[in-house]
Amino acid sequence: MTSTLVNPMDEQPVRQSSAAERLGSLAGARIALLDISKAGGSIFLDRLSELLAERYGVAEVLRFRKPTFAKPAPEEVLADIRKAQPRAVIEALAD
Amino acid sequence: MLAPGTIAPPIAGEEVRGPALVCFFKADCPACHLALRYLDGWARQIAGGAPVIGVSQDGPGVTGDLAQSLALRIPVRIDTALRASAAFDLEAVPAIYLVGDRGHVVSRSQGFDKADIDRLSRQVARLAGVRDLGPVDLPGTPEFQPGCVSRHLEPAVDGDAAAPLELYARMAGRASRVSVPGTEDLEEWCYERGFADPLPVVPPTEERVERMIAASGLSPVEIVAHVPPNYAAASVEKLAANAVMAGCRPEYMRVLLPALAALCDERLDIHGVQGTTHFAAPLAIINGPVRRELGFACGSNVFSNAARANSTIGRALQLVLRNIGGAAPGRIDMSTMGNPGRFSFVIGENEEASPWEPLASDFGIAPGKNAVSFFCAEPPRAVSEHKARTAPVLLRAICRVLANVWSPRVCGRSEALVVIGPEHAETLARDGLSKQEVVEFLHGGTGVPVAEYDGDGGEGTQDAASYEECVIRGVRCYRKFRSPEAIRVMVAGGPAGKFSAVLGSWAAGPGGSQMVSYGFD
Repeated sequence: MTSTLVNPMDEQPVRQSSAAERLGSLAGARIALLDISKAGGSIFLDRLSELLAERYGVAEVLRFRKPTFAKPAPEEVLADIRKAQPRAVIEALAD
Repeated sequence: MLAPGTIAPPIAGEEVRGPALVCFFKADCPACHLALRYLDGWARQIAGGAPVIGVSQDGPGVTGDLAQSLALRIPVRIDTALRASAAFDLEAVPAIYLVGDRGHVVSRSQGFDKADIDRLSRQVARLAGVRDLGPVDLPGTPEFQPGCVSRHLEPAVDGDAAAPLELYARMAGRASRVSVPGTEDLEEWCYERGFADPLPVVPPTEERVERMIAASGLSPVEIVAHVPPNYAAASVEKLAANAVMAGCRPEYMRVLLPALAALCDERLDIHGVQGTTHFAAPLAIINGPVRRELGFACGSNVFSNAARANSTIGRALQLVLRNIGGAAPGRIDMSTMGNPGRFSFVIGENEEASPWEPLASDFGIAPGKNAVSFFCAEPPRAVSEHKARTAPVLLRAICRVLANVWSPRVCGRSEALVVIGPEHAETLARDGLSKQEVVEFLHGGTGVPVAEYDGDGGEGTQDAASYEECVIRGVRCYRKFRSPEAIRVMVAGGPAGKFSAVLGSWAAGPGGSQMVSYGFD
């Protein structure tokens, strides 16, 4: 005898999204770093900014910061990043 | 993988003209890079072009960058829509098919396997009548490297046609029905479909789920909550199906409905708790007459597997979090140590043994009314104090445990829930302390000696300049909790034993998780 079960899983269709196109090179680019505001993150990100300029010829590094690492970035932070028009954003986790 | 003898499906709308080797790849797969370099190297030895076609599962930009970095000369077709990948039925990339001159699959290989690729190359050279110069020399490459899962088998996406997530929708569609042949073992079948935590479940048959829905008095399509982190809709029917699996009785829907709504209250930030590497898990605390009516454990073994209501309601909520919200261990939930409360974490307050008003009254819910409150908690820490005869001695023992929540030298960040055992509650009541006086004592008496900040750079020492300094019993300390409100006190546990429990929080306050309490009838 066949049993009929009620599907207990999420069945909502998921919208296709693909990873953003990767940059061929960082040279001369304006790059944004999104600091998720974990303790000690700024030390790591300061060094990352230096390395991006020294090793990869990044023209400008912009820094943005989430108010808390415990929640998704609020719309205002995302709007600020978009307004600055970086070529790429590095979401910069640090602990 | 498509079996030999099958006609090869078109790729990017074009038939495959055999004989040819068709190599599916994705740009972020290291084994694909090896296969492409190998095939390209082989193709370069053949004058007048070699019968090799690359098929990329990525867009033109990413594919172009890869082709450039590997200096590929073989032609590459794009299969971003993954139609050809699905039609060729590959499981992993790189996947290489030898298509014969009549357009059928002759042979195939998955992953990077030098010997296999050599075999396929020799075969296609013979079929195409070209002169094969033999294996390619790629110094330093392994003989074999397993591939990556094919993009079309990565977590499900339904294409651009799928509707965007509707966070404020009130109604969902009906859950689908799944037919399971009588020859299957239902419990094993549910386990294999990933319906559950690793314990056996009660199969969510239509009859059982219908009984659960009927007990709720609501429409099956009504949405109870949008469950983070995916914010997927948990309808009454989906909650009911998970509640059946967890072993709940239909009358438990009365608690499950407000509990799920509270669990998904943005103030609790279950989004963050589901994704953290920390120990935190949501603890539910039940107040009101419903404790007796449904048989919640409030006394002995309150944190254990003592009562069906606690164990199955907590499990049902955890199942909803993973099955609907999408955070299961190893998939978003990457907690370093985890928490035994992830199976189930529900306690009732022992209101009958408490000299004070119930926990939910801290949140404006009248005593005597039913409530479910949530606190995202570390596992319980034990306080054993069998010698204290007075409130101060007992409370100082609790302070010593409180000082260690989260991390011993981190101050001002955490909150804590103190679960006072009935014998300890008696000691405090005998000395006439109100709940507020207990909380203020614990706040004032919990600190970390400044002498412990000895410049070793450990956790909590960097921010010491921002901590509030105080003197506790003659010792210079940093205050552990930012205010008395960071400490909540309740009573639970059995009548014998001078024990209490302290539970630290996850990241607390408006930037993290805040306690919530929902009243219900």
